[in-house]
Order: sequence, then C-alpha cells, then structure tokens
Amino acid sequence: MTGSDPELVVPTAIRDRILERAREGAPEEICGIFGGDFESEGQSRVRSQYPAENVAETPRTRYRIDPEEQLAVFERLEDRGEEIVGFYHSHPRGPPRPSATDEAQATWPDRSYLIVSLDPLEVGSWRWREDDERFERERIVPE
Amino acid sequence: MRVTVDVKGEETREIDLESVSVSGATADGEPTPTYQDLLREVDLSPHEVSVLVDGRPVPEDQPVESDHVTVLRLIKGG
Repeated sequence: MTGSDPELVVPTAIRDRILERAREGAPEEICGIFGGDFESEGQSRVRSQYPAENVAETPRTRYRIDPEEQLAVFERLEDRGEEIVGFYHSHPRGPPRPSATDEAQATWPDRSYLIVSLDPLEVGSWRWREDDERFERERIVPE
Repeated sequence: MRVTVDVKGEETREIDLESVSVSGATADGEPTPTYQDLLREVDLSPHEVSVLVDGRPVPEDQPVESDHVTVLRLIKGG
C-alpha cells in the first residue's frame, strides 16, 4: 500500500440528508450514489448525492440499485463534471460496519461505501480493496 | 466488427469481435461471441456486472450484435 490513508470529505448538509432518508426509509434500507472528486488512494470528495430506489427483493436486509437507474445517475453526474466517488446505504438495525453480504457483493474497487447505521446510530465509510477482498475503513471528514 | 466497451468508472476499451474466443455452443457457420465472452475479455464476470445496450440490460448469453456496449458494476449488498 502506498500513499496516504483514505478519507472521504462529506458536506454536513449531505450527511444530514442521508440520515434523514435512512430514518424515513426504515425499516427498509435506503441507498444512493455519490458524485464528486474521486481518488483511489488518499482523499475523495463528495459534491452531490443521488438517491436511488432500493429494488432488492428483501429491502429490510438487502439493497440493490437498478442498472438503468444507475446508468441514468452516472450520466447526470458526468454531465456535471463529477466522478463516481462511491455509494451509500443504510443498516436500519446495524451493524455499524459492512455486513458479510456487503463484502460478498462489493464490486467497485477503491470506491467509498458509506453506511448509515440507525441502531446503533453511527455513520462510517470504507473503501473496497478488490485485490485483498476486504473493506478498508476510511476517515469521514465533515465539511 | 469492433466493439466499444464502456466500463463505467474505468477506461473505455475497443475490442475486435473476431479476436474474442467463444466458450459456449455454436450454431452452424461462424461462431458468434456472446456478451459473456466479451466480459471475459475485460476480466469481468456476469456475477459482478450488468451489460446494457442503448440503456437497456441485455442477457449475457446473447450474441453480441451492438458495436457499443455499456458495462456497469453492480451496486448491491446487505
């Protein structure tokens, strides 16, 4: 591993909005996409969040974003000059970290996976390191 | 035919369809690579991505008929 420790800059207004969505969406998981400035190592910066529908068959314990909606969001953020920074989803009943399912189904190398846990109330973020097949915790920098 | 494979979040690849190795059963005449064969060329599997043509998902076992393909890594978990 080279470079500095990973960080994710998250504007307070965006963090608050996601928390609000997570509370409104409970007991189901909510999810969405972050646009902004992406760095595979070091600091990524969230500039926008794009809510997406959770189309998982069991949305209380799973989340999935429909590919057509995903593509539409990517086109919107690219039109705004943003990069794909990462994704967020909620864990209405915890845990405040990636679940075994999150690890088994992660596919985006080096992107941020931010998790809002409601019980216990905690917001954390991790980078998916594909070569190691594990999540690496990153620091959230409020802005 | 040359196929442009746009793997979102990564670089776009140009792939010569004639050079793609075909894994499945072939019909009479020339074998036609499927989208799954195309994915193998970019080191991805159908388990981790969706393939879209003109903004619509296509089954990975179908023969490649478009010269522009979008590949999306799935966003899902628990």
